[in-house]
Amino acid sequence: MAENYDTDDTFLGRWIAGELSEQERIAFEKTKAYKQFNIINKEVQLLEGPNIDTEAALKAVKLKLKSKQKRTNVIKLWQSITVAAIIIISSGLFLNSSKTYTTAIGETQNITLADGSIVNLNANSSITLKRFFWNNDRQLNLTGEAYFTVTKGNDFIVNTSKGIVKVLGTQFNIKDRSFFELKCYKGKVSFNKLDDLTKTFILTKGMQVNISDSKINEGIFEEQAPKWKQGVSSFKAQPFSIVLEELSNYYSVTFETSSINTNRLFTGNFSHKNLDTALKTTLVPMGITYKKSSNENIIMLQNK
Amino acid sequence: MSEKEPSICEEKNYNQLFRKFYEPVTKFIYYKCGDLQQAEDIVQNVFVKLWKLCATITFSKAKSYIYTASNNSFLNEVAHQKVVLKHQKTVSDHADYESPDFLIEIDEFREKLKTAISALAVKEREVFLLSRVENKTYKEIAEITGLTVKAIERRMSKALKELRALLGKEIKI
Repeated sequence: MAENYDTDDTFLGRWIAGELSEQERIAFEKTKAYKQFNIINKEVQLLEGPNIDTEAALKAVKLKLKSKQKRTNVIKLWQSITVAAIIIISSGLFLNSSKTYTTAIGETQNITLADGSIVNLNANSSITLKRFFWNNDRQLNLTGEAYFTVTKGNDFIVNTSKGIVKVLGTQFNIKDRSFFELKCYKGKVSFNKLDDLTKTFILTKGMQVNISDSKINEGIFEEQAPKWKQGVSSFKAQPFSIVLEELSNYYSVTFETSSINTNRLFTGNFSHKNLDTALKTTLVPMGITYKKSSNENIIMLQNK
Repeated sequence: MSEKEPSICEEKNYNQLFRKFYEPVTKFIYYKCGDLQQAEDIVQNVFVKLWKLCATITFSKAKSYIYTASNNSFLNEVAHQKVVLKHQKTVSDHADYESPDFLIEIDEFREKLKTAISALAVKEREVFLLSRVENKTYKEIAEITGLTVKAIERRMSKALKELRALLGKEIKI
């Protein structure tokens, strides 16, 4: 006859746990096999597992943590903080950084901006603008002189030392030297003088404003494009000092003017291609002679 | 995460867990792999990981993490060896059996018993030793191994039958 422990696959397990019913237990204890199971069970319970030194193991784990993990974690933490900080700061600096285009004396440069607007930068001038996100904030700083061809879009703002020029899409020239001049060649621009921002001047094609002695003069002009773009500077009844300053933008020379009157007005042109020609075309009509210094950098001016 | 639970990241709580679980877990792994050095390495590495993960494991979940992670690393290590057990030093040679005559040479029997246990399949052996040597209830074993109590009863039964098959001849009735 098959015994319970053979047919019931949980029987012995329940016996060990003392969970057999009274009836089951009594029947089981009468079997021959019971005695063998009982001895095995009792003997097995006399066995013991391995000796384990928990405190030694704890020390070993702490050592592992200290020598390897903890230190590298700290280093890693510092490394990652440093790296993160460098990335944040430098990307901030980078994203916020400006780009400056500068022309040397006698040099011009054409710059195409991210929105397709073109800046023709005249000699001895510079523009500074944000390196990124130009389309969101079309704003730049100008020193010197430049001709702008602006594509339509948000306000296009040029900050100068004398005032703010704001446009929507147009072509205009700004000259911001000791003499400020804004000429609109196409479209519409507005101008606000820095020391009087409340007053806005609106210029359309052929209109200009200039500032002399911090007074704004409005006027008109006829040429279709600035003369400087053709390599010529042109003056209409402007103080001779302005002409000399303009000459120094195209040629690296300085003028010794102590013996002449630079307030006299000059009307005429000079070329950007040759210093001697330029000097002759400006000085001869004014009745002024000149002498170059030995290194040709300083030009002595004298009345005839 | 409950705010009331002690943080494992605090050393005293971590030490408490270590002292509570290191030995039983190591034995649990030892009964599977039979290599104490390997078992200790596995469990120590689990505790190293526990420290690293201290912020993400709650105190109450630590036990199950330690057992599960140890078991997983055990499964990942291939070499399994024989379990070597020894007798308690306090064992009396005159254990009180109903019929001591049934036994042949008791030392010889005990050696054979240990060999027989080593020869058990891993899944029966771990359950059997947790119950018989570590005196854990089936419920506790179920928690550790993730088995049902029913499955543990089956494994216990099977282990006993195999031991009897191997040792029955040695016990003369």
